[in-house]
Amino acid sequence: MKYEVFTNPLKKHLKMSNKAFYISLVGLLFVFGFTTIQTADNCDKKALTTSCKKKLEPFKYDSQKFTKINFTKKTQQLEVEVPIFIGEKYRLVFNTSGMPKGIKINVYTKDKEAKKRESIYSNKDAKADEKELVFDVPRARKMFVDYDVPADSTSQKLTGCMIFMVGYK
Amino acid sequence: MLLKKKSLAIKGALFVAASMIMVACGSDTTEENVTPPTEDSVVAEVQTQEVTYSLPSPLQIASIFKKSGLKYKAGITSDMKDPAKYTSNLNKAINLGVYSADLSYAVLNKQNQEAMTYMKLSRQLADNLGMGTVFDQGNLSTRFEKNLSNEDSLAYIIAELQMVTDMYLDENDQQQITSIVFAGAWVESMYIGSKVYEKGKDKSLNSKLAEQMTILSSIINALKAEEKKDPAITGLIADLVVVKDLYDGLPSVKENPEATEDTEKELTLTDDEVAQLTAKIETLRMKFIKG
Repeated sequence: MKYEVFTNPLKKHLKMSNKAFYISLVGLLFVFGFTTIQTADNCDKKALTTSCKKKLEPFKYDSQKFTKINFTKKTQQLEVEVPIFIGEKYRLVFNTSGMPKGIKINVYTKDKEAKKRESIYSNKDAKADEKELVFDVPRARKMFVDYDVPADSTSQKLTGCMIFMVGYK
Repeated sequence: MLLKKKSLAIKGALFVAASMIMVACGSDTTEENVTPPTEDSVVAEVQTQEVTYSLPSPLQIASIFKKSGLKYKAGITSDMKDPAKYTSNLNKAINLGVYSADLSYAVLNKQNQEAMTYMKLSRQLADNLGMGTVFDQGNLSTRFEKNLSNEDSLAYIIAELQMVTDMYLDENDQQQITSIVFAGAWVESMYIGSKVYEKGKDKSLNSKLAEQMTILSSIINALKAEEKKDPAITGLIADLVVVKDLYDGLPSVKENPEATEDTEKELTLTDDEVAQLTAKIETLRMKFIKG
């Protein structure tokens, strides 16, 4: 075993200080790392895109939409307008795995300002662990994808992200 | 010496503990400083939840026109010249869209060499916009070259290129470029469609030109939503509004308001109306490619 001999007291002190410094640095990195992990959302866009693309087959990729969602103390309704064309066959693939808790997804053919509209798709019957949802769209002129985000009464500042991908044949 | 070591370890531990407390206190302070949402602030928050847009790809527009019987007509796509003349980001993005539409048109009509040239030009413009790396993902450029004789494979590669581009722009918070590129592609597609219509007066193509006009409001609104990111978008919106106003004022459109919503009813414009629309589209397209 090799022992280090400290001949100079100042050198020895500096060496020990370095050790303490490194211990502290590792501690700090741990603390800040932990804090960051706690507040970051689960929005790995590449992974979500890859996952949706698999479910889109055999439809051809057309577009995708990420929506960042910040939970607040009140419910929110977010809407994405998707123009589509007569005679084309479309598929929508949603992925909810970037969400910290469940939200309602509905697809309408009219926007949220319309007096009367009917949902052509809803995730209300989807199982809680079902993260990828596939919807083959009936004939329509436009689609309005609505996310009904529930209120979050905690002080956690929850955030998440939703993605849907559009494909056509 | 052992005592000193212990003392330093304790000091280190205390420093870490103090840092943790500081972080924790920092969080608490931030938490405390957050004003509880009053009715007013909540209302303001809900009001800012604007509608967002997911626009189609240039390839799909080309595909729809192709299905309606759009034939290939040589010489109507944009000049295959050096794209370095486009200096502003707006013009680069618009013309990337123009090239995308031309590329799709060439691929779907088996014009392989033309498709290859537009692919290279698109790459150059994407490089100029700082997003050329998307062409390298999954060896897209190489695969495109290797599959030049296979139309289906090329269409699939273009769709994949669209996907990686969309993801890249989203990750870099440049969604405004997505909307600008599509605006350029849409105008170029309409130009090609209307120029081919001039020759054959095909009824099915006429309906598709009218149908395409229904998404113009979505393009304009998508651009408006991104206007803050690039003030130059304002001019583009104004140019597109001119086309929309002309279309909305056409007698066939005013007499059939349900044609924009009814999925079973397709609108047919008169030849004169198509000519008016073509003239407006041509003017705008000239402005785009001139840079």
